[in-house]
Amino acid sequence: MQKSDVKALPSMPLQSPTYPRGPYRFSQRQYMIIHYKTDPAAIREALPEPLVPDGDTVAVQWLDLPDGEGFGAYSAAAQVIPCTFNGEKCNFISQMYVDNSPPLAGGREIWGYPMKYGQAKLGVNGDTLTGTLHYATQSVANGTMVYKHDAFRKDHSAEIESLARTQVTLKMIPDIDGTPAIAQLVAINFTDVVIHGAWTGRARLELIPSVNCPLADLPVHHVVGGNHMVTDMTLPYGRVIHDYLAK
Amino acid sequence: MTPDQILKLPSMPAASPSYPMGPYRFINREFMIVTYETDPELLRMAVPEPLVPNADSHVLYEWIRMPDSSGFGDYTESGIVIPCTYNGEPVNYTAQMYLDDEPPISGGREIWGFPKKYAFPKLETCSDTLTGTLHYAGQMVAMGTMGYKHQVAPGGVEAQAKGMTRTSVNLKIIPDVDGSQKICQLVAYNLTDITVKGVWISPARLHLVPHVNAPVADLPVKKIIGGKHFISDLTLPHGRVLFDYLKEA
Repeated sequence: MQKSDVKALPSMPLQSPTYPRGPYRFSQRQYMIIHYKTDPAAIREALPEPLVPDGDTVAVQWLDLPDGEGFGAYSAAAQVIPCTFNGEKCNFISQMYVDNSPPLAGGREIWGYPMKYGQAKLGVNGDTLTGTLHYATQSVANGTMVYKHDAFRKDHSAEIESLARTQVTLKMIPDIDGTPAIAQLVAINFTDVVIHGAWTGRARLELIPSVNCPLADLPVHHVVGGNHMVTDMTLPYGRVIHDYLAK
Repeated sequence: MTPDQILKLPSMPAASPSYPMGPYRFINREFMIVTYETDPELLRMAVPEPLVPNADSHVLYEWIRMPDSSGFGDYTESGIVIPCTYNGEPVNYTAQMYLDDEPPISGGREIWGFPKKYAFPKLETCSDTLTGTLHYAGQMVAMGTMGYKHQVAPGGVEAQAKGMTRTSVNLKIIPDVDGSQKICQLVAYNLTDITVKGVWISPARLHLVPHVNAPVADLPVKKIIGGKHFISDLTLPHGRVLFDYLKEA
């Protein structure tokens, strides 16, 4: 392969790039988000400076992604810490687990999504919206929420606002000698968001301590409630808001 | 978390880095390598310039069982290696790799540019046959077989250990946050502290199934040269940049 073709590749490997170029459109992207109060000192420890904590409520969310352009069908679970950057409200994505190579590699390499391989599942079992997460064969999280209890609510402005909030990730990519080549805070905003349905309701969450999937490092003190949403959206490229290597 | 702590992180996520700082030590790493001849034109397409593929059009199809890998754990890998030259020096270019463990996938891609994807390779002894299989997205895409310890390889463990010091090369591509290339390099590394515990050769066969996202069959098998089986301890250190496409091309 000629050098000019190498420079046009979106990703490794040369013979079948793991992910194509973005942006990436998601259809029927389903969320269950469980908000809970945790230990403020643990939040402070998990948040990279100069991000500042915004309250003591964090979230664990499950995502079912049946139709992700360039990525396919997969599931994810994530931990989200509300914070501010220069006074702007944002959500720091501190941990994320997926069961599919292209979003895992592309998520880390493009935006710095903190993704590892884990088996998340979001589904309806009887009367219960249920999220599970297994990492290295062990169960590490169980979330449950009531199913569409406020089915006739028309006002989705809170959901629209929450999906519009800037996401922030800490992108770390080493150089070939192991020193950091990239150390940045990256900001991402979804575009073209459509809400097909949105519900709130009672929820419960259990997080089990596991060293390589440490969701339980932000312990559940009190569950605030759950959000269930079905959406379409576009994941565009991001922007660098802070560069730790800049002199 | 302070900027100093952040700059000391070996990898993402900050909450539990996928991989620690290297180098990485592997114990009882077991290889099955089936060498075959393929189409020279297709081989040329699979190799990034300025690397030059070997004149014999040989390809190495590998399975590697790694039961004890520092920082990474217990996993299995399968993929394609193409003997090449770089400025006349013989090197091994890794073209495709499939494995079942996230830290070596992320670390492999992010540190050295190993072209790794998540899949389910397996290397096992099934009655009289050393057997490698690879499943990608639910489908079998490769099966290799060789006889079990039929004959010690010529030169024995010393010759094998020497052969394993050959420079390996990867094409490392990491995008920037806007999708453009941030890193596009040929990187090189050399294994160190190699102990070979046994090395055997035997006849072998290889079956590759066409698959778009695991295109092992894009380098079709024209003729099997032979199979090699060996077990070793080794260290995978950090590497060096051989060629920088963003500066030199």
